[in-house]
Amino acid sequence: MTDTKTLTTEQPDQAALKPAVRMPAAVAHGLAIGGGALTAASAFLAWTYSSSFPGDLTISGYPGGLQWLTLTAGLLTALMGVIAAVPGLRVLAPGNPGNATLLFAVGGVAVTWFTLIAIAVQLHGLVNLTSGGWVAGVASLIALVGTLGLPRAPGSTVCAPTRAEWLQTLYAGAGLLAVGYLLHLTGNGAAGLVMAGAGVVPIARLCIVLKHYTGPTPTLRAAKRLPVAVDVVLMILMLALALEIFAYGVDTPYGQLFVGFLAVLCFSLWALSQSGLLRRATEIFERNRAWAAVLGFLTAAAFVFVQQSDADAALGVNVLIFAATALGLNVVVGLAGLLDLGYVAFLGVGAYAAALVSGAVTSSVHATFPFWAAALTGAAVSGIFGVLLGAPTLRVRGDYLAIVTLGFGEIFRIVVSNLDGVSGPNVTGGPNGIVNIPDLSILGFNLGNPHTILGATIGRFANYFWLMLIIMAIIMLVFSRAADSRIGRAWVAIREDETAATAMGINGFRFKLLAFALGAALAGLAGTVMAHVNFSVVPDPFVFAGPVPPNSAFLLAAVVIGGMGTVSGPIVGATLFYLLQQKLTFLQSNELLIFGVALILFMRLRPEGIIASRRRQLEFHEAEDAPAAQLSTAGA
Amino acid sequence: MTALLEVEDLRVAYGKIEAVKGISFSIEQGQIVTLIGTNGAGKSTTLRTISGLLKPAGGTVRFNGERIDGTAANKIVGMGLAHSPEGRRIFARMSIEENLQLGAFLRRDPAGIQADMDRAYTLFPILGERRKQAAGTLSGGEQQMLAMGRALMSQPKLLMLDEPSMGLSPIMMQKIMSTIVELRDQGMTILLVEQNAQAALSLADRGHVMEIGKISLSGTGADLLHDESVRKAYLGED
Amino acid sequence: MHELPQNLANGLFLGAMYGLIAVGYTMVYGIIQLINFAHGEIFMTGAFGALAVYSKLGANVSIWLALPLMIVGGVATATLVAVLAERFAYRPLRNAPRLAPLITAIGLSIFLQQLVWGFPGNKSARVFPQLPGGPFHLGSVVFQSADIFVVVAAVLSTLFLAYFVRSTRTGRAMQATAQDPDTAKLMGIDTDKVIVIAFAIGAVFAAIAGISSGLRYGQIEYNMGFLNGLFAFTAAVLGGIGNIYGAMLGGLVLGLAQTLSAAYIQYIPGMSQFGSQDWSGVWAFVILILVLMFRPQGLLGERVADRA
Repeated sequence: MTDTKTLTTEQPDQAALKPAVRMPAAVAHGLAIGGGALTAASAFLAWTYSSSFPGDLTISGYPGGLQWLTLTAGLLTALMGVIAAVPGLRVLAPGNPGNATLLFAVGGVAVTWFTLIAIAVQLHGLVNLTSGGWVAGVASLIALVGTLGLPRAPGSTVCAPTRAEWLQTLYAGAGLLAVGYLLHLTGNGAAGLVMAGAGVVPIARLCIVLKHYTGPTPTLRAAKRLPVAVDVVLMILMLALALEIFAYGVDTPYGQLFVGFLAVLCFSLWALSQSGLLRRATEIFERNRAWAAVLGFLTAAAFVFVQQSDADAALGVNVLIFAATALGLNVVVGLAGLLDLGYVAFLGVGAYAAALVSGAVTSSVHATFPFWAAALTGAAVSGIFGVLLGAPTLRVRGDYLAIVTLGFGEIFRIVVSNLDGVSGPNVTGGPNGIVNIPDLSILGFNLGNPHTILGATIGRFANYFWLMLIIMAIIMLVFSRAADSRIGRAWVAIREDETAATAMGINGFRFKLLAFALGAALAGLAGTVMAHVNFSVVPDPFVFAGPVPPNSAFLLAAVVIGGMGTVSGPIVGATLFYLLQQKLTFLQSNELLIFGVALILFMRLRPEGIIASRRRQLEFHEAEDAPAAQLSTAGA
Repeated sequence: MTALLEVEDLRVAYGKIEAVKGISFSIEQGQIVTLIGTNGAGKSTTLRTISGLLKPAGGTVRFNGERIDGTAANKIVGMGLAHSPEGRRIFARMSIEENLQLGAFLRRDPAGIQADMDRAYTLFPILGERRKQAAGTLSGGEQQMLAMGRALMSQPKLLMLDEPSMGLSPIMMQKIMSTIVELRDQGMTILLVEQNAQAALSLADRGHVMEIGKISLSGTGADLLHDESVRKAYLGED
Repeated sequence: MHELPQNLANGLFLGAMYGLIAVGYTMVYGIIQLINFAHGEIFMTGAFGALAVYSKLGANVSIWLALPLMIVGGVATATLVAVLAERFAYRPLRNAPRLAPLITAIGLSIFLQQLVWGFPGNKSARVFPQLPGGPFHLGSVVFQSADIFVVVAAVLSTLFLAYFVRSTRTGRAMQATAQDPDTAKLMGIDTDKVIVIAFAIGAVFAAIAGISSGLRYGQIEYNMGFLNGLFAFTAAVLGGIGNIYGAMLGGLVLGLAQTLSAAYIQYIPGMSQFGSQDWSGVWAFVILILVLMFRPQGLLGERVADRA
């Protein structure tokens, strides 16, 4: 009766996991290293006859455009391949160097074949590829085959998808293809995008297979502590590298290059985390927090020196404004758990407040505040609006609050459009807004004029970039201080169970109001700079959803997809979104559509966002783990 | 002779926490079987898994020889397994009559339904008197009667009752318990989950004691009632 | 003030449309406590589905022949979108924290708007066919055929829904699921199916509202669902969310309040500048916020499942 069966564990027998391609280890290592080197070398060949593909890939002897990325991926593959082959070099990659080599090789295949296919598609036909292009393609595959012959890492799992998963992939892909075709027949602008989505489905499936093949990120024993000086030097080197990579990404002049850049970047990060290097790097930053903060700030400031033009600095300052506002929204959504759908209005309040006291001729207030006063005014006015808005509405229950805030966002937009002296009193200049806002002058330093520092010319946008960077640092400081304080813990308590929090003596309303006011003030602060950077303030950007950031939907997406409740999440999300929107011009007006889909997919697949806060991860996955099939806990 | 319900090595988990850690028991036709144990022992979780509200993490459940683990709750009812949940869970805003009709949701024989409804009114006359009244206005004991009557409306082969005595006065509890015996005498098979071990064991054919997700002791109702450790742990005797 | 009857009538027509949309919010919320933020877009796809049918038929088909087909087309489109949304976007999140389905709904709303926006043709406004006949006069009140259409549609739909929920097996299953989904399953009710039906009924009503809107204003837009959806949601809350009669009542009250505030606020001393059409949106939102703040349980009381 009571025979106890042994629990069948999910982990299959470790020894049973063989590499995907069977070959002697020496051959595998050789192919990986050789393939990687050959891939890198092939970047020096001409890939196509026609120079009409962007980046000019027709020159032999010097890589151009996307070939640089192939070169990088090939070199990294070969390098990691050597580390994986020579046991004495294990210290350089304490994790799974084999996996890392594989992932670098995958990155190489991805960018190389993406380039080849892009050439063939854009120039109409494979005939446009020269033998050099084919060499690159084949070389990247050789490296892939070699790395697939390397021994599997411990902890990797069976990677072949189940029948159901194959069918799911098939249905999803075919379904999208069919829908895309139907849309194409009707002439819908999103048709191409939907069909491209069909292509993404199998790629996503392959990535999942790869994830199982490589297994989880290796856990390492803590490394020996290095002297602080060595740590600092290492940090400087790493930050400099990161800055260079970031500047390269910002400066990519055409969409294809940006896509290739993202592909190589993603697979390289994955490879680095598999190699254990990312873990080691994190350790260094974590044990020198103060140094890390200072160096991080200086690195960000150094962006203006490595950028290629003031246009990049303009991009940088806009990203910062967007990210700062997103971080403010993260106080409200991520920390306090209040969904605010009209948040961009606070950015608008700050911007209008600053514009009104900027001394602009078109301002209805004839006063000129110095910047510090204008910034404080913007933040204060915005914070007051937050309180005015929050005081009556925060007693409303959670999902109604979303609607109320959406309503307020709309009211703001309508009101500023109407306060033009015709439909209402003249305050904001109506649809024309407040224009010709003068440049800021701080301590006699006019931000509108270029300056020469260390032999480099710092243009107008670079000046504002520095200003915004200081404000960003302040906002980050406020955010992390608030999150780690008594207030932050109260927010967590309210978010998780307001009734219980109230029972424990937490005045939920007061803390929610505080979150609202703080979030509003931070957005207002960002708004004050925005008014000056853009020369003008008009009602257009302050809508719920629009094609250009910042608007409430974009901000929410940046926070949610970046990672709610974290400092870096919204910054990563905002940066990624802003750059995607700027770089992928071939998407034309379909960015919003993609953001809509991204919101849905993220909620389904990774609700905690790209950068997960530990607590959020628990919150989101706790419900998922429950065995109840449906509904049962929904109302609890 | 196969049992009506066979549970084998059933495991249920909430996230990483296993609430039921591999239990096995079976119920023969016409028996009253009871699961007793303290709060949190996993009794209700077991019932909710058998009736399909929860998905098991492992093990099998066979009803009438057919595997039902992983089958949707609404399908399992149709196979003849009724579950009267913990806390009664009547539809408070509907009338008594409507509650009973919902119990017969899957049946398509109006005459049979009417007959069974009359039977429920005979079993619990108070329900018949108030048939048009909103169920939420009934007292706790009356609500329990309604919950049992509603479960019976699906013409089950097996009736699972989750803590029918919870929060009832001693008199009302007596009434409920005697009804359970009456149903068994009419041929019904019953799985009774109770915290009130004394009452449950004195009428059960077989009993199982659950402790933190496992069955620690099994036997006939009478045996368990006289078992030293059961008396100590559940009947408050030293 | 002599135009008061006309304003009342206009409010009534507007309110009937809000009511039709609000039914969808209220049914879905009543059962799974989800604000289906994308419901406004369901309303919009209904209108576009009908327009697509009309443009396929060609201009020389009589509107009276085309209208039933347009209704079928609109209803089919809206229902399909709603059912797909439920199946692929909401159902996987049934047990997730509340923020997840709400954000999904926002994503869905943006996605649907942009998808419809992508269809070739005039992006800002597309011409919708008009019903012939009219204007009709009733005392000092003037109204059009489309106004009759929306009122008749609202009345018929409400009567149908009342019958459906009260007297059909599925309707009772729906009530049971709204009150206690787990126990409803123990009765043998397929709650997934009930939820799909709730979404579908909401979509049917929204599609009819979408067609009404097209007929009344003579044009439709890809973003028509945003504001109308928001106001309809307010109507649902105003009536008592979860309560289908409340949705209709809330729609009428909101329609009247909006029309009357646009017409008469300018007569309040000191408010003369704020009474024009430009400000009517603001007043509508002020009503929305006041309702949510002071009467969140609605006029008829909400009917959210009574669980702890």
